[in-house]
Amino acid sequence: MASDTTDSPLQIVGLSKAYRVGFLARQRRTALDSLSLALVRGELLGYLGPNGSGKTTTLKILTGLIFPDSGSVSVLGEPLGSRGWRRRVGYLPEHPYLYDYLTPNEYLDYAGRLFGLETGTRRASARALLAQVGLEDSADVVMRRFSKGMVQRVGLAQALLNDPELVLLDEPMSGLDPLGRRLVRNIVLDLKARGKTVLFSTHILSDAETLCDRVAVLRSGKLLAVGRLDQILNVDVSALEVLVSVPGASLPDLPGGVRVHPAMSERVRLDVPEGALAPVVAAVEGAGGRVLSVLPTRESLEDYFVREMGPPAEGTWAPRD
Amino acid sequence: MGSARLSRVQAVAANTFRETIREKVLYNLVFFAVLMTLSGLLLNPLSIRQDEKIIKDVGLASIELFGTLIALFMGVSLVSKEIERRSLYPLLAKPVSRGEFLLGKFAGLAFTLLVNVTVMTLGLYATLWATRRGAGPELLQAVLAIYLGLLLVVALALLFSTLTSSALALVLSVCVVVVGRFADVIRNMREVAPGVPAWATQVLYYALPNLRNFDLKTRVVYGDPVLSSDLGWIGVYAASYVAIVLGLAFAAFRSKDLQ
Amino acid sequence: MRWPRLAWLLLLLPLVPWTQTRIDRSLGGFRAQEEVLYLWSGDQVRRLAPGFEGLMADVYWLRTVQYFGGQRVFATEKRFDLLEPLIDITVTLDPRFEIAYRYGASFLAEPWPIGAGKPESAVSLLERGVRNLPRSWLLQQHLGFYAYFFLRDPRRAADALLAARKLPGAPPWLETMAADFLAKGGERQTARKMWARLYEQQEEGPLKRNALNQLQRLDALDAADALERFTAEFRRRRGRWPDSFQELGQAGLLPFPPVDPTGVPFQYDPQGGKVEIARESALWRHPGPLGSGLR
Repeated sequence: MASDTTDSPLQIVGLSKAYRVGFLARQRRTALDSLSLALVRGELLGYLGPNGSGKTTTLKILTGLIFPDSGSVSVLGEPLGSRGWRRRVGYLPEHPYLYDYLTPNEYLDYAGRLFGLETGTRRASARALLAQVGLEDSADVVMRRFSKGMVQRVGLAQALLNDPELVLLDEPMSGLDPLGRRLVRNIVLDLKARGKTVLFSTHILSDAETLCDRVAVLRSGKLLAVGRLDQILNVDVSALEVLVSVPGASLPDLPGGVRVHPAMSERVRLDVPEGALAPVVAAVEGAGGRVLSVLPTRESLEDYFVREMGPPAEGTWAPRD
Repeated sequence: MGSARLSRVQAVAANTFRETIREKVLYNLVFFAVLMTLSGLLLNPLSIRQDEKIIKDVGLASIELFGTLIALFMGVSLVSKEIERRSLYPLLAKPVSRGEFLLGKFAGLAFTLLVNVTVMTLGLYATLWATRRGAGPELLQAVLAIYLGLLLVVALALLFSTLTSSALALVLSVCVVVVGRFADVIRNMREVAPGVPAWATQVLYYALPNLRNFDLKTRVVYGDPVLSSDLGWIGVYAASYVAIVLGLAFAAFRSKDLQ
Repeated sequence: MRWPRLAWLLLLLPLVPWTQTRIDRSLGGFRAQEEVLYLWSGDQVRRLAPGFEGLMADVYWLRTVQYFGGQRVFATEKRFDLLEPLIDITVTLDPRFEIAYRYGASFLAEPWPIGAGKPESAVSLLERGVRNLPRSWLLQQHLGFYAYFFLRDPRRAADALLAARKLPGAPPWLETMAADFLAKGGERQTARKMWARLYEQQEEGPLKRNALNQLQRLDALDAADALERFTAEFRRRRGRWPDSFQELGQAGLLPFPPVDPTGVPFQYDPQGGKVEIARESALWRHPGPLGSGLR
């Protein structure tokens, strides 16, 4: 455990931030309340939470856009204030606005110069990344003409330009069509395969479910839970998810308590209370069908959220994320 | 400055220059400035042999006026617009510091102004040669003084831009520029408002930018000599004032939360 | 654009010039007086555009020239009311605007209908010019000339010329001219010398034309005087004034055609035998108190 944390690419301890609001800024509203989080090298961490929970605040503190009230952060072993680590970290903000009077090539060249990359390196890296995000044909088109999805992809390219060890992504899928999302997903998985550490802040729980090793859940500026999905989500073995295939999609009579989900061609999904498994199997096979799979139902992240995210605690508030 | 730092500042400056050059508004202003100077050509029959003076007056005044407009409008968008549009966010996450960013913005805009002022000056000289009136290098002294004044305006616009929204920054910058032109009124304020204590007028006079310092137009048009030491003092004033203003901007900007 | 919309547009277009003429007719009468009221003082205008005084001076100078020309050519009642304020603003904005002093003085001093007929204002303007451009012998000279010709103050005129002589670049004939001013008699001769100098000095333009005009006027006055001697002679012989130039000619007392140097015939008044420059002539001046200058 100790060796994990010293090698942690991102270590946050006791981070707090409150905003002054109201007329004459007399009241204070907490955005982050003593947040502590440590990433494990090479992992893909999902950073989740409803609007206003402090996700974006965290990222803004990390990127130096706002300053915390208290707490410490160490990035790749260096303190937050040092700028050395910024050469090895990539950041994609939510809804990035990237100088619409520039072309992707020009923007990446600018970003590369700010990273301190040599001309050859940054040109090659830009070319490769633009190809990877599928924009090599529009590399010299002024970005004013781009759709939101195209801008998002250039944003991703600039985040990866310096081949960073740690990548911070704020809503990387936003604005993308399904093909775009597939692309980003592949890129993220590729990063993981190459040993990079990725912090992935998102609303889209299904992405987190499929991609992330661990998730950290925020509510009202406090860390609610952090760990692997199977550690956080309840596994409800009291019910089973049974997938069956019946000819003509006509089901036999099933015992009570069984919920039937709408059929897709001949496949039907059934939620079966534990005790009723045997009779259901018998009924299906008796009707000439087959049981395809039996799985314990696990609540989804969405269910977890609905369960956990009741009304926020009194007196806490966060700015628009 | 270390070479890595310098190259980052250069990168910001180069990008700022590219941004302002691609701003269409700029071309309109420069076009109108040159047009105004050319219109001096039309005045020949009306002016009883004053066309040379009038062309110089119009030309220099255009350079000053349009240069100021460019400095104001581009200056306030340097930081405020970047913050409002959030284009700053991915950039500040990189190894560039806020100070380097400000310096690069200033340098980029200073260079843009240099290019614009040069184009307008060429227009003025072209007009003078077209009317077969001589035009020597003495006009450049007035142009140089105007340019130094413009740098001051940019620095002020940048300062206000770090403090507040682009609209308010524009209003404040315009106010300071206007007051700066009335510097002599401030200095002699006690003639109209004897209640004001002398030290207050002094403080106000030295604190506000005295933009009259950069007005050599009348002297140059009448052919009065301008000593290099005069220009030297003007340059030192501009440099110190700009340094102070940029320093204030840096102080304001470095610990500002960017929502 | 569709037909009906185009039609509407075409119908509306003439509305603008029509209402404009209506406005001009009803408000236009008061315009000139309003303008005098609303024209600001030089200092007020100066305050308005700090740093652009030179340009504003140019603008006001152009306005002055246009106003003067417009009044001369177009106005039915040539009033020249705005001339003094406009010139005042011009030189307040740019006290070194030499040409404004010289031309302004001429516009002001020349009698109606050539100019505003305000010679004291002209001389004050030149004094102001001399204060602001103390090294200009030309302005001092103008001050002297105008004092002599329009104010008939030879003492003041001579002093000015001698002061001019002391300034760098001043020509030596200023002294001789000063002496001429002080000499009794021969004023017309002196005036002729003066206008001849001015004619030489001025650049092409209104002032040069005006100097020529003055010289021709002096010639015309000489001719008129000569004709009056002949009419007097007629009266001596016949006991009455001649009825017309024709009669004078028939009596053999008309050695030259009775026209002024611009070709306009003189006007003859049989009541007193007086020969005058005709009203229609370009050489005519309103015989106001000081307005006509020297005869």
